[in-house]
Amino acid sequence: MPQWFVKGLRRGVVTTRYPAHADSSASILPTPPGFRPEELTSQIADSLVQICPSCALTRAGDELIFDAGACTACGQCRESAPRAVATSGEFELATTDRSALVKRIPLLGEAGQ
Amino acid sequence: MTPHTPVTGSSAGAASADTEKAAAEALRRSVTSQFGRSLHIRTLDTGSCAACEQEIRLLAAPHYDLQRLGFFFTPAPRHADLLLVTGPMLRAFGVAAQKTYEAMPGPKLVVATGACALGGVFQPDAFSFGSVDQLLPVDVWIPGCPPSPLALLQGLLVAVDRLAERIPRLGFVAGSES
Repeated sequence: MPQWFVKGLRRGVVTTRYPAHADSSASILPTPPGFRPEELTSQIADSLVQICPSCALTRAGDELIFDAGACTACGQCRESAPRAVATSGEFELATTDRSALVKRIPLLGEAGQ
Repeated sequence: MTPHTPVTGSSAGAASADTEKAAAEALRRSVTSQFGRSLHIRTLDTGSCAACEQEIRLLAAPHYDLQRLGFFFTPAPRHADLLLVTGPMLRAFGVAAQKTYEAMPGPKLVVATGACALGGVFQPDAFSFGSVDQLLPVDVWIPGCPPSPLALLQGLLVAVDRLAERIPRLGFVAGSES
């Protein structure tokens, strides 16, 4: 049972205090993935590009391009490569600049440096 | 599905992008000074799956209580200051969307809501424009499929310049936030 429901019954107030205070339910929201460049080899990146159902991931040279605007937070990349991909936990993603949502993530070199 | 290049706004050329940015900045300032703490929202479904509408509906529920922040939903575009657009902008809906936008009094804001509206799910084809910015000038983008009510709240507050954007600081790389 969500915490706010129990607290709300006790205090009589159920309204979140966001944005002045953090919301307790923010941690269970589905959020886009976060990447660990030290684990992200080009093979893993290619497999992630193949997996992504909404084409949020594309490959350009030695970078993985992640479009957070296209991401549906399905979690398939995290399941297929749990070492390289984790949940970012970021839900405050609104922006006035569409290109700010496109992130470039550097890949690990072939030699493993 | 073939990978497609991300949509990066309808503007072409650096100079026009700069003037557009300056105009958007001026609009945001005027919104803050003119509307203060009150803003009326008209939602527009341009062919979404209604998941975004479910989340938008929850904004008025007691837990999120949109009204405490000075936002109100209005049924008429004539009374609206902000257009909350969901869906990939179907071509069949193009005229209606344009008319809705034109019916709103200025200054007005357009907020693209959800991955479809941002051009992430559908490519431009015979049935849809692919993203909202192909037809309407978008001021704020709210990603998510669907965006949670908290994400929508943050987006609305970003739209009226009462909350700073976080996304430029995020790299989606572990420990990258400055």
